[in-house]
Amino acid sequence: MLPCTGRIDEALLLAAFENGADGVMVIGCLEGDCHYISGNIRARARVERVYKILEQIKIGPDRIRMYNLSAGEGERFASYANAFVDQVRNLGPSPINLVRSTNAQSAVQTAVQGEAT
Amino acid sequence: MTGNLKSLPQPGPSLTGAVMVIGGGISGMQSALDLANSGIKVYLVERSSSIGGKMAQLDKTFPTNDCSMCIVSPKLVEVGRHRDIELLTHSEVKGLSGEPGNFTAKVVRHARYVDVGTCTGCGLCELVCPVTHISTFPPQPEEGEKKKKLRAKVKETITGGGSPQPTSLYKWTFTVDESACSMCGGCFNACLQGAVKWEKKSVATIDQDKCTGCGACYVACPEKFKAITVSYAADLDKSIGAALYARSELLKKGFASKGQSDCLRCGLCVITCDKVMNIGALKMVETGIEAGVDICQVCGACVSMCPVGFLAIDKLTNKSVHLLENDFNEGLNGRKPINILYPQAVPRVPVIDEKSCVHLNTGACGTCATICGVGAIHYESREEEIEIEVGSVIFSPGIEVFDARIRGEFGYGYYKNVVTSIEFERLLSASGPTSGTVARPGDNKHPKKIAWIQCVGSRDHSCDRDYCSSVCCMYATKEAFIAREHDSSIEPTIFYIDMRSFGKNFDDYVERAKEHKVRFVRAMVSRIFEDPVTGDLELRYVDAAGLKRIEQFDMVVLSVGVQVPQAVKDLAGTLDIELDKYGFAVTDGYTPLATSRPGVFVSGAVNGPKDIPETVCEASGAAEAASAALAGARGNLIRVEELPQEQVFSDDDELRIGVFICHCGTNIASVVDVEAVMEYAKTLPGVVYAEHPLYTCSQDSQERMRSIIKEHRLNRVVTSACSPTTHEPLFQSTLRQAGLNKYYFDMANIRDQCSWVHPDDPVAATEKSKRLTRMAVANATAGKPLEELEFSVDSRLLIVGGGVAGMTAALEAAKQGFGVYLVEREPILGGHLRNLQRGPDGRKFTTFIDELVEEVLVDERIRIFTSSEVVEQAGFVGAFETDIVMPSGATRTLKHGAILIATGAEENRPEIYGLGSLETVITQTDFEQALEGGGGAGWENLQVTMLQCAGSRDKEYLPYCSRVCCNHAVKNSLHLKEMFPHARVDVLYRDMRCYGLGEIDYRLARQAGVNFIRFDPGENPPKIRATEEGIEITITDPSVGFPVELQPDLLVLSTGMRPRDTEDLASMLRVPRNDAGFFIEAHAKLRPVDLPSEGLFMAGTAHGPKSSSEAIVQAQAAVARAVTLLSQEKLQMSGVVSTVDPTHCAVCLTCVRACPYGVPFINDQHSAEINPALCQGCGICVAECPAKAIHLGRFGDRNIRAKIEAYSVMQS
Repeated sequence: MLPCTGRIDEALLLAAFENGADGVMVIGCLEGDCHYISGNIRARARVERVYKILEQIKIGPDRIRMYNLSAGEGERFASYANAFVDQVRNLGPSPINLVRSTNAQSAVQTAVQGEAT
Repeated sequence: MTGNLKSLPQPGPSLTGAVMVIGGGISGMQSALDLANSGIKVYLVERSSSIGGKMAQLDKTFPTNDCSMCIVSPKLVEVGRHRDIELLTHSEVKGLSGEPGNFTAKVVRHARYVDVGTCTGCGLCELVCPVTHISTFPPQPEEGEKKKKLRAKVKETITGGGSPQPTSLYKWTFTVDESACSMCGGCFNACLQGAVKWEKKSVATIDQDKCTGCGACYVACPEKFKAITVSYAADLDKSIGAALYARSELLKKGFASKGQSDCLRCGLCVITCDKVMNIGALKMVETGIEAGVDICQVCGACVSMCPVGFLAIDKLTNKSVHLLENDFNEGLNGRKPINILYPQAVPRVPVIDEKSCVHLNTGACGTCATICGVGAIHYESREEEIEIEVGSVIFSPGIEVFDARIRGEFGYGYYKNVVTSIEFERLLSASGPTSGTVARPGDNKHPKKIAWIQCVGSRDHSCDRDYCSSVCCMYATKEAFIAREHDSSIEPTIFYIDMRSFGKNFDDYVERAKEHKVRFVRAMVSRIFEDPVTGDLELRYVDAAGLKRIEQFDMVVLSVGVQVPQAVKDLAGTLDIELDKYGFAVTDGYTPLATSRPGVFVSGAVNGPKDIPETVCEASGAAEAASAALAGARGNLIRVEELPQEQVFSDDDELRIGVFICHCGTNIASVVDVEAVMEYAKTLPGVVYAEHPLYTCSQDSQERMRSIIKEHRLNRVVTSACSPTTHEPLFQSTLRQAGLNKYYFDMANIRDQCSWVHPDDPVAATEKSKRLTRMAVANATAGKPLEELEFSVDSRLLIVGGGVAGMTAALEAAKQGFGVYLVEREPILGGHLRNLQRGPDGRKFTTFIDELVEEVLVDERIRIFTSSEVVEQAGFVGAFETDIVMPSGATRTLKHGAILIATGAEENRPEIYGLGSLETVITQTDFEQALEGGGGAGWENLQVTMLQCAGSRDKEYLPYCSRVCCNHAVKNSLHLKEMFPHARVDVLYRDMRCYGLGEIDYRLARQAGVNFIRFDPGENPPKIRATEEGIEITITDPSVGFPVELQPDLLVLSTGMRPRDTEDLASMLRVPRNDAGFFIEAHAKLRPVDLPSEGLFMAGTAHGPKSSSEAIVQAQAAVARAVTLLSQEKLQMSGVVSTVDPTHCAVCLTCVRACPYGVPFINDQHSAEINPALCQGCGICVAECPAKAIHLGRFGDRNIRAKIEAYSVMQS
């Protein structure tokens, strides 16, 4: 949990992949409704940059996505999480994990990196 | 002008430094917080079992669509945890004696039967309680008389589609106690499985191979012998009721996906009825269940026990069946007799309903007390009366909605698909009865066409609701808007008379709703007919063209108005407060928050219908009014917490982490294997202690945590429990009390994120709990102690603007004991109100203003600077420095702790229709002035046309509604008609926005013969030709349908209000304004007089157009908010702020540009610097800094990386 998705940066998002995440969801306040005015907009730009990096280094860009939710949208959060997990499950384990581990884990690991305030 | 002001503490006689706030809705909560945060003790008395009021019931709020619960729950938590607010819920005020400053209030605390101090709010009692209906209890035996077993005379057999399918899943073992058996054979006759062996005059035995564990024998065995015993039943050690619940839950899970609907012959219903309820109306028979319908008490316990939904309550009884309705959900679903008002309730403690609880009425059941892990349930509780000493009282008991049954033509109460707007709020709410799915109550069908009917119980003389409820136009628009957000196939239609979207940004909201396909129809619906087969509804109305229309809808929402409940009227009588004929408090326009009884103040919708921001303003204002007279006693009754010295650790000290894995009753432990998580936690590096308390947050567990910290010399603490949002502050304060810095703590949320979301996968939920615990331990390891810096507060207040708001604020702040600098640009004080004549009660504004000026001038705590302007501003909350230029040209620096902007507004004077060049075209203000002067020659037969929205709600001029013009026009019309009854007035309007009690004058004006003609600037604009020769107006009157020609002597324009020029001031103070130039509040709903920067407040028309009374309320509110700061000797900054490492700073200005609050600056050491008092702690600069030179306490890279790395460590 972070005070604002504006706190997260590219290096930390990539660190999650380095440390075994197969996918990363970043969840911020609804656009225009950021608790800290503009943090979620900056986070979106950073997630977009990481998306491009993942594409370049062939880890696959669809392993990261930013979502916007209000704190009252539990059900929508669940459906986003399920859809994202399915998406990552279809992609399979991250190449980093495949290379690292001789007995590749079959389970999909998903880290939830941000939470709406 | 000598020296700077010093605050003068008031010498107080023996005043009581406490206020009683009656009503725990948003109004009462806001008053309580503002008072308690400024050194006044608060007793908050609430009738219902928890605070929150109407706002907690709402789904979203207009005009921002903020989730209501999300924004109110932090307030709930703050009130609940505040050590100077004593919550008296489930309590009522029964008397008030004494004088202002020294009242004695009599308060009755109704028996709650649950101890608020011990209860942890786990909710298990509510789950196990089997009762769902309002019971008809059997007659109770007289004292000394023996209770007789009921015998059924009328029996019905319930059979399903198939024959019973006996199950022995999770079976209990029944055995015969030979010593107790009376050899009667009752068990033998009852057993349907042939498992009981019995012969006359011999002891019965049970063949365990044949027994399915249905308990028929157990029930049949006469009570006086109790020869059948139960064993191998989970939770039987607690009570038979608890055991039945446990098996029922297991069977429900077991059969959840099997589609079973035949009787399982599990016997749970029969045992419940006999052994728990002492009724014995049910019996298992070959074909199903035999019910003694005449002795059934209709409690519903058997139905709630049945694992497969085989039983239906209406088949089991010959009495009428009444579901125990959930009041919070407006009766749309049921509840239990023991009930927590709503999931986020504060206190989250249930109350037992005396009317429906079986134990309290018959002595049976009592299951909840046996299941409660902390022993919080006390059936022997009795109502008690207490006396409380207070200095003032705030009356804010709130309102209820109109009973729509009174408007019989809409069929509410008969037609199931006709609901009220508050019911619809619950249907929209994610935590409501349908989990936020819009389903019509009649058949759960998803409605497509939904109609809203406005003014149900508002603006309606026929049912004594002459007033406008002020909020319905907006909430209906919001509900329609949100309904479409839930389901885009919904076609909403709103039937209305006038669209009263008069508040700040409300018109924009309505326009957005129109873009989102919300249809608005200006028509009054005359009747609704229901199609009895489909449940669809036929609406009849007359459209704008005067044609009769019939239209079909799937669902109708009645926009019910607000009204004062009878209980509140009675309470007002008890308190000796005068109410008007509708039940609203009688107040004076110049002291809008003072009731007829000195020392008793009023706030919220009971002071006239109003929305949330206005309520919050009044609440803060009432807090100010109530405490002004008690300023001398400030701080006398508040509690100061004494804390031990914080221990200091060095990096070389051994890491000693304690981990607490919470059961949360069964909330967590029923899914997550907490013991396994605890064992795992013990293996983590640095962990020296771990345990798994039943409730980590309970009072005794917190005491235990303190002693464990000392005993095991812990230097870090981790809890794996519930949500940090609600519980982290509690654990952190426990750490602090034990001498640890509160940032040596982290929390994993294994309830919400593990047990609640993965109830069907306990193994994975346990693994996830371990992982989250591991991450929290890693983060705590990386934790650093953070300092919460203190700085002293300058107790003076700077007020910019000397109009009614500024002067009222100055006087009130002075009464509160604080020095005031009042800076006014003009040479005289008074502002825009000097141009206006009389208030709604007929008194002259100028008299009021002159008195106010006099009071301000003589008060030695107020220093006035007229013809002066703010030119520079520096500093931060508690320590501002502002430069002003005085008429002499000299600059002077004022030091103060807070700023209040009250720069006001003025009448707009656009050059339209000859305004400014023709004498016959004037504004409402000019007209009012002329009337005040007695009118002119020939005014006896004067013909006046008033044009509303002249240059208002018009993109070319003022795009917004100025809120006051409709009332102004009505007031002037009435005044003219009173002076010259033969004068003629035609008012051309778009929507008459005479909100609240203004509607009553609007009605009087129509009765007095004032002619109101509606126009639409798009479809039906008035054609106006105003020249030296005269004025000619042509307009189609929609009520008659053909053009009308008017040739008035005077054209009076309602031109609206525009803000004063504050561009320079706003940029100096770094506070935002909207496109129109009004200042933007920190939060549209809950912080209406706070500006986004700390220590800055606003009041009056600088915020938006409003009446003088509303400006006075805001002034008082802004003072209350400022006093929460000024009354502190020292302020404490959050530890979670960003700091720059100057050795790494490259002075690239990235942080300066990135910060949304403009906090970082470059200091004289050539490094960026962040003032901790201004930093909001978002961390945006930390992420943006290319040199990684900025660190955010608690959320540094070190912390986040520790968590990420701990995530990946795989364990076996």
